Amino acid sequence: MQKVKIAIFDLTDCEGCELQIINLKEKLLTVLDNAEIINWRLIKQKNDPGPIDIALVEGSAMTKEEIDLLKTLRKKTKYLIGLGACACIGGIPSIVGDKKERKKLFSLIYGKNYKPKAWESKPINTYVPVDFYIHGCPVHFPELERVITLFLFGRFPEKLGYPVCMECKFRENSCVLIKNKPCLGPVTQAGCKAICVTNGKYCYGCQGPVKDANMKAIKTRLKQFLSDSEVKNYLNLFLKATKEYKKVSK
Amino acid sequence: MKELGPDYIYQIEGHGSLDIKFNECQARLNILEGERLFEGMLIDRPYKDGPFITSRICGVCPTVHYLTAVCAIENAFKIKVTPETEYLRKVLLAGQIMQSHTLHLFFLSLPDYLGLDSALEISKKNPAVFQIALSLKKFSDGLVEKIGGRAVHPITPQISGFDKVPTKSDLNSILSEAEVSIDKAKDTVKLFAKLDYPDLNHNIEYLASGNKKEYQIYNTSKIISSKNNSFKATDYDKYITEVIKDYSTAKFSTKDKKGFMTGALARLNINQKYLNPKTKQLIKELNIKFPSNNPFYNNLAQAVEILHFTESIIILLNKLLSADLEKAKVFDYEIREGYGVGTCEAPRGTLYHAYQVGKNGLISKCDIITPTSQNLTSIEEAANLLLENTKKHDQKKRQQLLEMLIRAYDPCITCSVH
Repeated sequence: MQKVKIAIFDLTDCEGCELQIINLKEKLLTVLDNAEIINWRLIKQKNDPGPIDIALVEGSAMTKEEIDLLKTLRKKTKYLIGLGACACIGGIPSIVGDKKERKKLFSLIYGKNYKPKAWESKPINTYVPVDFYIHGCPVHFPELERVITLFLFGRFPEKLGYPVCMECKFRENSCVLIKNKPCLGPVTQAGCKAICVTNGKYCYGCQGPVKDANMKAIKTRLKQFLSDSEVKNYLNLFLKATKEYKKVSK
Repeated sequence: MKELGPDYIYQIEGHGSLDIKFNECQARLNILEGERLFEGMLIDRPYKDGPFITSRICGVCPTVHYLTAVCAIENAFKIKVTPETEYLRKVLLAGQIMQSHTLHLFFLSLPDYLGLDSALEISKKNPAVFQIALSLKKFSDGLVEKIGGRAVHPITPQISGFDKVPTKSDLNSILSEAEVSIDKAKDTVKLFAKLDYPDLNHNIEYLASGNKKEYQIYNTSKIISSKNNSFKATDYDKYITEVIKDYSTAKFSTKDKKGFMTGALARLNINQKYLNPKTKQLIKELNIKFPSNNPFYNNLAQAVEILHFTESIIILLNKLLSADLEKAKVFDYEIREGYGVGTCEAPRGTLYHAYQVGKNGLISKCDIITPTSQNLTSIEEAANLLLENTKKHDQKKRQQLLEMLIRAYDPCITCSVH
């Protein structure tokens, strides 16, 4: 049987999600019994331009070259999968908003004469159709393993249609939102096994909004104990480029 | 076959390419990563976002960004943490350096020296070596996960302490793995001591944290220079100048208008006296000599550091096991207006974070200088020197040596742009 051809690409990013793939360790070697990684610049010298069965794409397309690469990749790839918050929802880099804001910051950081290379971070589906999303900052092992395994068996994975709260209950964490601590668990797509709440923090929404997320309700709840600007800074940490955030940001 | 996308240098963290004028012996390192503007992103955001957001600068060394930002803000607020917190943070930092060095040595650099395509090929052709890599990776990832909550982008560290502390049984299991890792770390030093490094004598200035007492990596206050003009870490911006180039989205640092080097080789050149005993013993047995002016030796220096930090982890864990870990938890503090600099040793060298925080707890100014942006000028200088020294070789060989040189520096381009 011919092995499944996998390629891994990074756009403007931190490479943390790719590292999570390396961090699978022996499990990565098991994947390689059934698949072949034909292109991965981070760790390989000989890279094959395709065709590709599964392309995992990390990062945001923030430069012209990256958008071109993404479009070329789409043409050569059967299943294009977003890897991590930057690719799937815009993520942390999307905090810096529109052109006007970027221009101001470029001048502050690089000086007036600098010619910028990148523009704002938007989800990669702004530029090309995406077949599936592995969310998270960084992507989490259980979801990474689930999605890759299903694809290798020739099955198309189902989206987890429930929020982080569900996984948080399974881990028997006590609810932080009840204690008036900010948490986006109720509106955030599951898949992380509530790793942040389990480790003493709150959910920051890095997995992106869950289906039918009630953003208005979470905003109202947060406003009961946070100031308007605190609520804004909390909600836009990962979600600024999402349509769900835009609906409640006005 | 045409590559997909621009002609990036493979097996380095981030996106860069090389323009080489072989006859003129000049190389230019184009840094092509998009600007994410982290220093601007933080303006008008709450101080706690400092560590959370800046850890996303880099997935390879997020823990050191996180902790350096934490130190900067604690210094601004004049918060003094407990010794328990300090020990736990030092263990995390040592684990972070091991994670990064293991990745770089086995996954990015070693294939060059073995003439193989990738570490995945090493797993088939040289399984014993791959097992060492896997075991060190498991140990260091596991350590950061048990203490920090996650191997990439830690969760538990916080201003004043930890939001969640590990249990003693977690620490005991890290300790027993550390004891096993000593042998793997020794094997790593032996392996990298045997490699045939290209010759290059690049006589430049080396900078590393130091206090003339220990191999210092955490919340350091003094930067020692190999050329005898040391400076206070808080004065970093008076000594290190950042230069903007039209071919790079990263700034290139200079000191006294010249390139300098920071990182494992610089640390060993400056602080080798303070290495742990087993490490000292082994490098003596293997006749490994530092200081060295050969940037290719940065690989060997990283291997030596893997052993040194494994020993450090054992020493720190033994202290922590007899301490009350609850004392490493966060405590109440006063938010005050102020400016603070945080300085730690990252895997690739000294990392500086500086924040101005207002009375309202919002960040009004942020400045970050990463190790790779400090090293960029000296990488180009070393590349030009290498081209001068290799005029006899054919173009393909010279190109290959140049790429090996760049990988030896272990540049983290994502960090350098931020």
